[in-house]
Amino acid sequence: MIEFDKFTLDNGLKVIVHKDATTPLAAVNILYNIGAKDEDPEQTGFAHLFEHLMFGGSINIPNYDEPLQQVGGDNNAWTSNDVTNYYLTVPKENLETGFWLESDRMLSLAFTPKSLDVQKAVVIEEFKQHYFNQPYGDVWLHLRPLAYKEHPYQWSTIGKCIEHIENAKLQDVKDFFFHHYAPNNAVLVVTGNVETEEVKRLAEKWFGPIERREIATRNLPSEPKQTEFRSLHLERDVPYDAIYMAFHMGSRSNEDFYKVDLLSDILSNGQSSRIFQRLIKEKNLFSTIDAYLTGDFEPGLFVVSGKLTEGISMEDAEKAIWDVLDEVSATKADEYELQKVKNKVESSLVFSEISFLNKAMNIAQHEITGQAEDINLEVEKYNKVCTEDLQEMAQKILIKENCSTLYYHAKK
Amino acid sequence: MEKLNRNLPPQFKTIEHVDIPKSKQAVLTNEIPVHIISGGSQEVLKIELIFNAGIWYQKSPLIAGTCNSMLNEGTENYSAAELAEKFDFYGAYIVYNNSQHDASVCLYTLNKYLDETLDLLEEIIKRPTFPEKEFKTILSNKKQNYLVNREKTNALAKEKFNSLIYGDKHPYANIFESRAFDEVQLGDIKTYYEDRYTADNCRIILSGKMDESVLSKIENRFGASAWNTKSSHTATKHEFLSSDKRKVFVLKKDAVQSSIRIGRPLFNKTHPDFAGIMLLNLILGGYFGSRLMQNIREDKGYTYGINSLLLSHLKSGHFAIVTEVGTDVCEAAISEIYKEIKRLREELVPEDELSLVKNFFSGEMLRNFDSPFALSESLRGNLPFGFNNSYYEKFLNEIKGTSSQKIMELANTYFKEEDLYEVVVGENKA
Repeated sequence: MIEFDKFTLDNGLKVIVHKDATTPLAAVNILYNIGAKDEDPEQTGFAHLFEHLMFGGSINIPNYDEPLQQVGGDNNAWTSNDVTNYYLTVPKENLETGFWLESDRMLSLAFTPKSLDVQKAVVIEEFKQHYFNQPYGDVWLHLRPLAYKEHPYQWSTIGKCIEHIENAKLQDVKDFFFHHYAPNNAVLVVTGNVETEEVKRLAEKWFGPIERREIATRNLPSEPKQTEFRSLHLERDVPYDAIYMAFHMGSRSNEDFYKVDLLSDILSNGQSSRIFQRLIKEKNLFSTIDAYLTGDFEPGLFVVSGKLTEGISMEDAEKAIWDVLDEVSATKADEYELQKVKNKVESSLVFSEISFLNKAMNIAQHEITGQAEDINLEVEKYNKVCTEDLQEMAQKILIKENCSTLYYHAKK
Repeated sequence: MEKLNRNLPPQFKTIEHVDIPKSKQAVLTNEIPVHIISGGSQEVLKIELIFNAGIWYQKSPLIAGTCNSMLNEGTENYSAAELAEKFDFYGAYIVYNNSQHDASVCLYTLNKYLDETLDLLEEIIKRPTFPEKEFKTILSNKKQNYLVNREKTNALAKEKFNSLIYGDKHPYANIFESRAFDEVQLGDIKTYYEDRYTADNCRIILSGKMDESVLSKIENRFGASAWNTKSSHTATKHEFLSSDKRKVFVLKKDAVQSSIRIGRPLFNKTHPDFAGIMLLNLILGGYFGSRLMQNIREDKGYTYGINSLLLSHLKSGHFAIVTEVGTDVCEAAISEIYKEIKRLREELVPEDELSLVKNFFSGEMLRNFDSPFALSESLRGNLPFGFNNSYYEKFLNEIKGTSSQKIMELANTYFKEEDLYEVVVGENKA
């Protein structure tokens, strides 16, 4: 049970405080309700590029990192298709420095041309490093547009292509900021060795004066139901063939999520899971294979991906995956197996609550998709799932006409 | 309400003291030392058994690592599948580590299933059977992972760099060809297990929320009798053989970035200059505000990231700058790297930069010691050198007492350009 206090400033900023007295530190986590899905299809990668620019100096503070390091703090950020999350940790005595820094960059950025030029170059190197200079690195650049035809999940947070990053202009950056970055479009979570009264005082002092902004209305195209099997063949200079299968499923906040999550756990969470035992240990058809959910806020994907063992044909490997998937549709899992994956979920939640920073991020995610209180209902929601639910989900999701398969061939 | 002055940073406190909770020590009846770090907010435990069983002691490649990862592939009482099934049912995680001088098996468990998971841990440690079928699967998968990894420029750069500074036969370089996977013999794995995974070659670290009963449970499984004891362990010697060649280029066709490694063999954390070198390394490339990061990423945009690191091995250590840069800017990046090193040799680090780095480092210490699991991690790294975590108190004082003058002296002693090795892996020679 994670206990917390919650209040909202007049400008709409939601603030949540969770005290963990076992640490000498404090975390300040700000989640902005803006992600790659909000981008113009002709200007992708922008939310992530923008995240970099948030470190390029704000209206009153020329350098973000230095004053934070000066007080023993550290920070980072990440961008997903749904949100952008900024976090820092400081010795608890220096909490106010975190408020000073975060509130100033919510107020306004410095918007210097130099920062834009440099970060465009940095992000292009990031693009190359992660997507083009790694074996199998470009998979998601192809799998996303195969699975999504209308919805903006069809591009990755890094963007569709390097040209989109190159074309970003300073005016675009400013517009993006004032349409998406605002107290009324964010959740602030403070965890660690902190008192609610003090956080309240600091939040009023530093964030209180920032005015509400008009937030661009989100009007995302919904993805039409897939009705037939899709496939794509790629040939690359990699040592082994690989296969990637993506199935459409519901959103993270849908009640079905818990059923599908446990279904994926039965298939692939841990060495005792069906896929690991059958396809690696018994038949050795794959050197690695995994099934997992993207866990997106909008309807997401159930993914099975694996690298084939040398000498195994793509057809045999694919058929073996379908055999395992068809089995969960055809036959109910037994109670023991369901209990096992529920235990694993409960355990992973307990372990995830060791870190005060982790807790801050999790609370913020729950608040932005629904309400922070839901974080304490997770175990209960998983526990309600029964074996019939798993079978029902498998029959609905793990079927050929709902599947997009990317065949990744090693160049011979 | 008073007018806010957003230009001025709020008052802050410098961290004068980092409170590092002490570990307690116990000894099992068969003389296995146990280090205990009690605390935390969650009802969880980490139990790590560490053996002197790393790469250093293997007679041919892959033996130490394969032995370590084969421990849960079947025991006298359970098959590999049964072990996996049980660990998963109790929501426990078991992690295998194999490094240069030691290898470990680490159990993460909920306290409520401690008895059940400890029984499994005991099986794995004392009664593995090394079945042939699992052995073949593991090696074939390891071989594939190895070959995939060799497609990465940074993996190739690391391998080449380590072979230059330690010698390509040295365990710290740990170089082997893919055929090594076909040559490993199961018999050698078993012999290695019998030689290294013994009670007199073991130490244990317990961390997490616990009472006295935990130690007695450990005693019952691992202490009471002398298991797998061997009177003498094979002594192993390896000679360092640094290369005369200082600069090496490795061609990786069609790479869109080049991986760069620049550095040199150095010493480990027992050396009197280690604290000073640590500070020097931080300033150069050890944190986001470092000179390399600020110059090569934040000013020039040549890379997504550049870092420098110090690595302490039991019998040596090294310093390395690591980055991946666009092929077209590789030469420029390398020249900036040497420029930054030269600046450290020739100019005193300004006082405000020095105090910032010291403050940042104190904050890092707080973060690194923030939970019993984190403390057990640092203790694991310290024990082979004969230290416990109180080492860091002395270390922090040394860091705080290091002057700009001293840093310049160290840069002139250890960061001479002619002593540095340089490896570039990519499409074009820089």
